Order: sequence, then structure tokens, then C-alpha cells
Amino acid sequence: MSIEEAIKAYQTYYCLDCGVCTGSCPVSRVNPGFSPRLMVEKALLELGEELLQDRELWSCLTCSRCFERCPTHINFPEFMRRIREEATRRGFGPVLAHHGMLQSVMELQTQGIHQKKTQWARESGRIAESGDIFFFVGCMPYFQVIFRDIGVDSLSISRRVIKVLNAAGIEPIVSDDEVCCGHDMLWNGKTEVFLQLARRNVEVIRSSGAKQVVFNCPEGYHLFRNFYPEYLGPLDFEVVHFYDFVERLLAEGRIALGNGGGVYTYHDPCRLGRMARIFDSPRGILAQIPGGEVVEMERNRENALCCGTSGWANCSVGSKQIQVERLKEAKATGAHTLVTACPKCQIHLTCALSNMNLDLKIADLTTLIADGV
Amino acid sequence: MEQVSGEVGAFQVAVRKKARYVNENLCTGCGACAEKCPTMVVDVFNAGLGNRKAIYKYFPQGIPSVFTIDAAACRQLGQGKKCGVCAKVCQAKAVDYDQKDTLIQLEVGAVVIATGYEVFDPSVIPEYGYDRIPNVVTALEFERLLSASGPTAGHLDRPSELALVKEMEEAEKEHKKLQRQVSQLEEKHGKPSSEIVAAFQSGTLPDDADLRNWALLAQDLASLEARLDSMNRRKATASVARKLAFIQCVGSRDFRFNPFCSSYCCMHSVKEAMIAHEHDNGVHSSIFCMDLRAVGRGFEEYKLRGGKQANIRYIRGRVAEITQDEALNPVVWYESTQNRQVVHETFDLVILATACVPSPGAAELARQFQVELDRNGFFKTDPLAPLNTSRPGVFVCGCAQGPMDIPESVAQASSAAARAAEIVAPARQAVG
Repeated sequence: MSIEEAIKAYQTYYCLDCGVCTGSCPVSRVNPGFSPRLMVEKALLELGEELLQDRELWSCLTCSRCFERCPTHINFPEFMRRIREEATRRGFGPVLAHHGMLQSVMELQTQGIHQKKTQWARESGRIAESGDIFFFVGCMPYFQVIFRDIGVDSLSISRRVIKVLNAAGIEPIVSDDEVCCGHDMLWNGKTEVFLQLARRNVEVIRSSGAKQVVFNCPEGYHLFRNFYPEYLGPLDFEVVHFYDFVERLLAEGRIALGNGGGVYTYHDPCRLGRMARIFDSPRGILAQIPGGEVVEMERNRENALCCGTSGWANCSVGSKQIQVERLKEAKATGAHTLVTACPKCQIHLTCALSNMNLDLKIADLTTLIADGV
Repeated sequence: MEQVSGEVGAFQVAVRKKARYVNENLCTGCGACAEKCPTMVVDVFNAGLGNRKAIYKYFPQGIPSVFTIDAAACRQLGQGKKCGVCAKVCQAKAVDYDQKDTLIQLEVGAVVIATGYEVFDPSVIPEYGYDRIPNVVTALEFERLLSASGPTAGHLDRPSELALVKEMEEAEKEHKKLQRQVSQLEEKHGKPSSEIVAAFQSGTLPDDADLRNWALLAQDLASLEARLDSMNRRKATASVARKLAFIQCVGSRDFRFNPFCSSYCCMHSVKEAMIAHEHDNGVHSSIFCMDLRAVGRGFEEYKLRGGKQANIRYIRGRVAEITQDEALNPVVWYESTQNRQVVHETFDLVILATACVPSPGAAELARQFQVELDRNGFFKTDPLAPLNTSRPGVFVCGCAQGPMDIPESVAQASSAAARAAEIVAPARQAVG
């Protein structure tokens, strides 16, 4: 999509030049050189070429805080994604975090590599080859290897999803052939790679015969729900987020939560909250933990702050500032644990916390659920 | 309005006149009833900031100057208790608890719809925190704070401090009660409370329910005293609002809520900032807007005068969000689009210029009259005949047809009356 086409598709000519986007943007607050408003202006003033080459193009967190508030409904995150697509076509790109390791893994997955995804799953519980429910694991096995050294055990989240499902008498399908959902490729401007990954996933799920696919990672859920149908047409299976699923299991009395104890505060991931509109089920689950108390940070739900970096790109000093600010906000609530619901939020915030002298714990919601089951 | 039939020149309209439980032919509006009425109710006219009695006048200058009983709140009418105080004190014998709603049949030649508007409820905008930050108020609430007949007699006390005063009153009442109980116990046992509390905390208190109760009461008293102390400190540092922020286009010119411009809010924010400054010369106001729409005779000059003489600063930039600091001051986050800078600034009070939206009954009324509404929910009019609805003989004026200010509403009211007279006059002359 050319810039002109993106302007038309997202109707950016409705821009009132009001500054709500820039005033809301977490990046603009720490990096005055970044301004969503001026990026839209530039595109409208036919300075698109400048925009494509701008390094800041890749600083946008696509967290949707701006779109949530834009008085003329300009979908800035989507507009950014399209401009990035064009920039990638012209050979520009972001500064990749972790030396581009994660992007390499994603691109490798389009080459038909053999993955041993079920081995750890068999060790964690009972899984099936066929059935109604498919558990889409996502990138956790890879994160596990890369982020072990900062103390984040991403795969333990997936293990616990299986534990909870087993406790409710469900044996989910876990597939060796499932690949990355393509989220980061899409936001890195590599739509072609995303499409290859997406087609592969749909094929794998279809051939398994599953009727329902359960996601723990918000990015996979958001992508399957909103982008797969856009690019590949309607899906013939239902897409469910694990927390909605757990809430139902709790309501039906099929699982029960154990004693958690203490004061929690919940960090809304942007993909799960603002984009997929799941605000209530994580809070509902937290509130049901016996002995637990939930307090809200000042910026919660629609107003929640991003975890500071997205798509493994342009992680910067600014990202750290955003993360530190968020952690302090969590601490100010009096909570002892900041509860995350996205593996990336957990990684990013844990990374920032490791350099701070702050008496705060970070725990994943799935872990809290599973530990009590 | 209950029912309408007929056509231009001969409408039959059934109107329900609600019982006010006061005979308006007898009531002199003296107010003795309200003075003695024992029931306090939250005052809607004062935007919920103050209280009124169950027998009341909607607002002091209301015409006709006749009192009304709020039946739901009244002890006698709504709660089935014995009261009758207002009837007893009324010298004119105007109070009538048995009054009923009356149905009035009207034969009319033309109808003018002048049902006004509703103010947009800003609590649906999560980023402005209207429902969680006490010192964020709507323009209408601010209007009441500024009013000499309002809940603060025109002083710019902040809602957080008004709440504090209320909270302190209750805490003091509780304090007196606890103190009395504790001192009775002290007298009874001839020991100071501190001894009992110390024994209780170290676990050496004898197992006695009375002593245990005493220790708990004494502890409660101590914690209440600490709370009162901190409230007193807060009260001592509290000051009236001097640094004001006015936020324009709250709920209007916003595709999420109402795409249209509410037209009058720019001027009322300037006016409120001017009045606040007249009341207290130390007041500084910032008006956040995309463009200040001073359209009307003398409006632009008024706006400029505000800037020069009333400490008003006009900032081009729509406010992104409002947070709150520890002293309960609202913090306004915005991009100053002229300086291309994201700024956060602390204010004493934030005033939201909320949109003018169709009144909740408009759709039902339009259905009864079989007239069309426009896409925003106001009554639709003909561009070349701006008072005509889609049905002959039914006219509409003022904010029922769209946002407009008072002078324009008044002018439209005159025009609508004239349009109605055009229909009615020939018939009248024929009869006469």
C-alpha cells in the first residue's frame, strides 16, 4: 500500500491537528522527536519519502493509546503498519532488538524446519493428537531459550496452561508443526512472511480438526481474531483467549483457584486490552483468588501504559524510561505483585526491574491461576 | 405530552400535568415550608453539589414562584411516615397531599417544540477521569460553584475540599461518641486508657470482655484522632481554586460521541473564566481548544479582552488525558501544538466544556408527533425554513433543533411564535 493509499484507507485527512495522539503517546513523552500528529501531517503534506526513511517510524509501539482517543477515529497503529510495509519494500527497517535473533527464528519457521514442540508439553501433562480444543502455544519455547538469563521462564506459562486444561478434564492438541503467529513480522513491515506463517498455521489447525483454538499469548489471539480473517478469509474454528476460557471453567465449577494471598495490580497488555477489548476476564479471575486483593494503577484498562517496546524493534533508552515509569506506578498502588498477561510485557518489565531497586514482584496471571489449581 | 392527533390548524393534544401537591393558586412562594421540611435531598439544580428540601422550588428565580413536593423523597407521600410539617406551617393552606395528576385536552392550531437539550455525561471518556478525579468538574457544576446562590455562595472551593469538610464533620461526630464511651470506661475503672491498650498489645490483658472492648474502643479512638489530625492538616493547607483549566470539545467534535460542534461552549468557558477572575483577581485560567469559535457580535473582542484583562491563556491543543497528583490536584497532559511539545501541567480545578446533546425524550416525542430527527438526534428542520419540522404546523426552536446559545434561542422562540401565529390568526379572526 503506497502512502497515498494508506491516507485514503485510514482517512487520515480527517485529522484535526488537535494533538491528542501525541499528548497520549508514551514515546512522545520520553522522546520529543517522535510525534504521531506530525507523522500524519507529513504524510498529508506529501513528505512521505521523508517519513519512510525516518528512523522514528519504527519507534511507534502501536499500542493504540492514540487511536483509542482520536476524535476522528484515525487508526494510527494500522496507518503505521502500512507505512512500514512500504518502507520495508524500499529497503528500510527498524533497529532489531536482540541482534535480530527473534526475527531470524520467525523467518526460519517459513522454511519448513522441524520443531520439537510437543516434547515439553508431554512432560507437563496430557495432550492429544486430535480433538476439539487446540492449544496454540506461540513463541514461548523460543523465548524460554533467549530470556532465561534475565530470569523469565516463558515456557512455564505454556506448561501451566496445559496443567489448568488438564485439571478441567481437557486434553488439548499441541502440534509440532505450529509456527509463529506472524505478529512481529506484520508490524515489522514484512507482510509476505506473515502470510506464509499464517497460511501454515491455519492449515495445521484445520488438519487437526479442532473446533476451538485457545491462546494464552494476547498477540496470537489478536492476530487470529482480527488479522487472519482479514488476510485469509473467515476461519472455520473458534478463537478463544485462555482467560475467557478460564473464567467459564471457574463459573462452571470445573476448576477452583487456590490461596494466592496479597495485593495484586494488573497491567493490561495493549493487544489484549485496547485491541481485543478483554479487560474484565483477567480482573475477574484475579478477584476470585482467595486471599487476594486487586488494586488498580492510575492508568488502567483503556488508559493503560504500554510495556515500552513492540515487535522486537527500536528498544531504546526511551523504552526503559516507559518501563520504569510503569513499575513505579505499580508500586505506588501498594501492591506487592504486578500481574502481567502477556509474555512480552513480562519480559520487558522484568528486564527493567532487574536494574531497579524496587520491592515489587512480577507474576504472570496464568502462573497465578495454575499454582492454585 | 401523552397523545397527539389531528392536523395543522386542528391538533388535539393530551397533556399530563403532574401533581405538585401544592395548590399554585394559593401558594405565595414564601418558603416557610422548605425552611421547616425535615428531609434533605441532593439538589439536582446545583449539579448535585448541594442539598435542598423535599418541598422545593427547582431554582430560586423559577416562574411561577410556587413550591413543589418531591413525592419520592417526602416522608408523608413517598415513605408513608407521619409528617405533615409543611401543611402545618403553610399560612396560605396551599399544601395538598391528595393532589393528583391531571390530563388536559388541548385544541390547538399549531405546536412549538421547545424541549431544549441535555448535557453530555463526560464519565464515558475514561482518559478525562471525571468519575474518579474529584477536582474535575463539568462547566455546569462550575457555573453553580461560581453562583452567589450556589452551594459555595460563589467561592471557588474545590470539590475535594467540600468532600473533606463533610468527611470531617462525620469523623468529629464519631470522635465525640467514642471519646464519651472511653472516658466513661476510664471513670468506671479508675485507670487511664493507655494502660489498658499497652496491656492489650503486649497480650497481658486479663481475659475480660469489658476490658477487651475498652482496649478496642481506645485503639479506634486513637486511629480516628490520627485521621482527624491528617484531615486537619489537609484542611489547613487547602486553598480556593486559583489555577483553572478549561477543556473544550468534551464529547463534541469527536466521532466517538458527537461529531457536531456544540457552538456555545467556547464562549461560556471564556465567560466563566472572566467571572472567576472578577470574583478573585488571583485566578488564572487556561483554555485548551483546537480553535476558539468566537462567532457572534462582539464575541471576538470579548475573547481578546479576557486574554488581556482576565489572565486567560488560550492554548492550542486538545487535552489528551487528566491524571491526579498526591495533593488531589488534576494534572493535564497535552501537546501544545504551537510549540510541538508534550506538556503536563498541574491545576487546582479542571472544567470540562461538555457537549450539548439531544434531550433523552426527543426520540419519543418525535415518534408521537411523527416528525423526523436529524442524524444527531435533534429535531430535523428545513434548511430554508429553519423552524419547520417535517410535519406542517409543528415548529421547533432553540436547542431542540441543535446546539445554540441563549440570544439565538430567544430569537428563534420569537420566530416560532410568529410562525405559529400565521396559522392560528386567520381562525381567530374568523371566530372574532
